[in-house]
Amino acid sequence: MDGVWVQFLGSLLAVVLIVLLTWFLGFRTAAKLDSEAEATAQFQLAPGGFEPASLALDRQGASAIARDAQGRIAVLVPHGTHFVVRLLNEGSAITARDGVLQIAGIESLQLDLGESAERWQTPGN
Amino acid sequence: MPFDPVAYAIPVFVALIVAELMWSRKTGAGHAYEWRDTGTSLAIGLGSTIAAAATGGLTAAMLVWAHGLLPLSIGWAWWAWPLCFVLDDLAYYAFHRSAHRVRWFWASHVNHHSSQNYNLSTALRQSWTGFIALSFIFRLPLALAGFEPGMILACAGLNLVYQFWIHTETVKRMPRWFEAVMNTPSHHRVHHAVNARYLDRNFAGTFIIWDKLFGTFAPEDDEDRIRYGIVSQLGSFNLLHVVFHEWLGIVRDVWRAPWRHKLSYIWRAPGWSHDDSRETSEMIRARWEASRGKRHR
Repeated sequence: MDGVWVQFLGSLLAVVLIVLLTWFLGFRTAAKLDSEAEATAQFQLAPGGFEPASLALDRQGASAIARDAQGRIAVLVPHGTHFVVRLLNEGSAITARDGVLQIAGIESLQLDLGESAERWQTPGN
Repeated sequence: MPFDPVAYAIPVFVALIVAELMWSRKTGAGHAYEWRDTGTSLAIGLGSTIAAAATGGLTAAMLVWAHGLLPLSIGWAWWAWPLCFVLDDLAYYAFHRSAHRVRWFWASHVNHHSSQNYNLSTALRQSWTGFIALSFIFRLPLALAGFEPGMILACAGLNLVYQFWIHTETVKRMPRWFEAVMNTPSHHRVHHAVNARYLDRNFAGTFIIWDKLFGTFAPEDDEDRIRYGIVSQLGSFNLLHVVFHEWLGIVRDVWRAPWRHKLSYIWRAPGWSHDDSRETSEMIRARWEASRGKRHR
């Protein structure tokens, strides 16, 4: 029984040390989009398919928003060093303020689009 | 207590992860690792060792029970070891293919695919719920055929140890003869991809020959950048969410589905829905092939 505990505690210690090492080595950079082509490729992975008809990149490459031919809107939400595609519900409120888009339901996401932000704002917001 | 190769391999796993971290840092592969993703992977790995300790005895008991059902006993002859290893790898192929084609099995296996990163720590995202998902049934035929339960478990452990090193992007290609026979980092990157062309391909454990034999092999195409993870990316580092989300999804779907469709949400392919509101891997591939055909016309 002691051996089992030693093995478990040793493994736990190894887990903590490796995570700390990963952090100290700098593997904590945020996800970044380099181009519209890269963003398009990411949008195309959306469950059910999504082909961007128009697209806007965050000015720092931290996210992107796109609309397809059916008028559906999707965003790329950063997750670690990668992105996750999220299709917005129909009628989701999108507000633009000082060039920054805020999306209801994804409060952690802010898209800095500059002058083009207003084009993505939903009516009434 | 049967010989468990995985327990002896853990220090080697740790050393290789540290080596891969250093190598990734040196070569500027800044996106190879992410510290929270690594934490989740390792925590799932640690949890899986506890789950294995809790259910390992039951799995062994099932194998002993099956071994005693028929008057076949191969014993511990030396030649039985390589034979058992190869047949166990075939059993693993059957298990693994089912784990991607039947949602009940997938619910247990999905956490292994849940990371969008692909590195040695990803290999440790092992199942916590394998016994509940009945994973052991795929190895019962070996016990029925007369192989010793201890030998089967040791071969299964060796198979798992082999699969550790193929979870890496640092190795591009092995020598051609090796790629032809063995499962390699290149073949397994394909398996972890969500690119439509790669979905449900390369189920092999140690020998890639099973995929070539049963028509599920796909080579890695260097022109098509691999995206890792699952079709509906979780976007979460929450350990419990990663481990149990598909089980909760099954409960939710079975609860909401009309009576005649309830069981289908358990035994049909992941992504199946009675109203076609979701997509299975086959549907995603068909959609991709259709869109590719349009582009080429």
